[in-house]
Amino acid sequence: MFFHIVLERNMQLHPRHFGPHLRDKLVSKLIKDVEGTCSGRHGFVVAITGVEDIGKGLIREGTGYVTFPVKYQCVVFRPFKGEILEAVVTMVNKMGFFAEAGPVQIFVSNHLIPDDMEFQSGDVPNYTTSDGSVKIQKESEVRLKIIGTRVDATEIFCIGTIKDDFLGVINDPGAAV
Amino acid sequence: MDRVPNGRHKVSANRPVVVLSDTDSDSDSEGFVEELTPVHSKSNGKASSASLKTGGKASSFSKGEASNGKAYSSVKGGKGSSSHAVPTRSDAELKLELDIPPNSRMLMNCEAAELLQEIHEHMAILSEDPKIKIPESFDKAFQYAKDGNHFTTASSVKQALEPLKKCGVSDGEICMIANVGPETVEEVYALVPSLKANRSATEGSVTEVLAALANIKAAK
Repeated sequence: MFFHIVLERNMQLHPRHFGPHLRDKLVSKLIKDVEGTCSGRHGFVVAITGVEDIGKGLIREGTGYVTFPVKYQCVVFRPFKGEILEAVVTMVNKMGFFAEAGPVQIFVSNHLIPDDMEFQSGDVPNYTTSDGSVKIQKESEVRLKIIGTRVDATEIFCIGTIKDDFLGVINDPGAAV
Repeated sequence: MDRVPNGRHKVSANRPVVVLSDTDSDSDSEGFVEELTPVHSKSNGKASSASLKTGGKASSFSKGEASNGKAYSSVKGGKGSSSHAVPTRSDAELKLELDIPPNSRMLMNCEAAELLQEIHEHMAILSEDPKIKIPESFDKAFQYAKDGNHFTTASSVKQALEPLKKCGVSDGEICMIANVGPETVEEVYALVPSLKANRSATEGSVTEVLAALANIKAAK
């Protein structure tokens, strides 16, 4: 789920960047440092949409760097337990399949795939129903529910299920039209 | 096959400030909050919509919601609280527990797509500078928001979802409905189980909202 949130960060700037373009330097550094990062609390910082305020700089003793408190708005993406997402399958194996929803990776274990779907190995590994009517393979679009999340320094990883009502394949790229 | 429609959802607009520490990145790491819910063997069929395919028969909406035993844990993500032992609650008692910082504004996928589109246009100019690198997560999130946007405009979706706010449906639940884009009332209550507690009061509004969303669905 996307959020628009105001965050604050202390940015350190070397004195060589001081001058008439100090603010621009700070904003550039902020974008470089923050965009694309992931935190446990806020999820992926997708993009900074604006800078609300830059506070007064404070010189750090011993280094000469100056710390500026910067208040900025950004769009973040964070999955939650219980959330329903549409994801694209990226890999299928006998343990389950991996899917991506935006920057988030989701794994769906074979235990959380309907019992009537079985793994078929081969050139294009997939899960297929006994009658072949429904298939999950790479590039398939599936609707799943997040049942667990884990965050590390740079990414969020989720566990999902398609075993509940109204979950499953939305669009199968291999299906005949 | 038509896609199962995705809904959007609207959000309040509060904007408080969350102060990060001055470390460069949060280093929160949480254990897996893995919740292997009981087997929903009666609900394998899903697919009340012809476009939603899963194995097995089309779902008759399982009325025995309590027996689904969807043991949502109230363990909050982001707080390293994986060690909490939380008693399971019935679906009706569970609200979508968004552990979001206070004063965040939730964005529907269509809102996010519009916002990121503007940023993308700016980035197209910035990307001419070889020193500026556009993060991969931006492209992925932007593509996800665009792909999940099945409605004409964000403002029309907000307007269509207004009746739900009046019924006391939470912003998180509205967001879920909007992003998922359910086609039937049963689908709404299946995917957002926390609404079941107040179904009698909300069902009329849900029906109205679904009809409105169907009218503004973008042609694909």
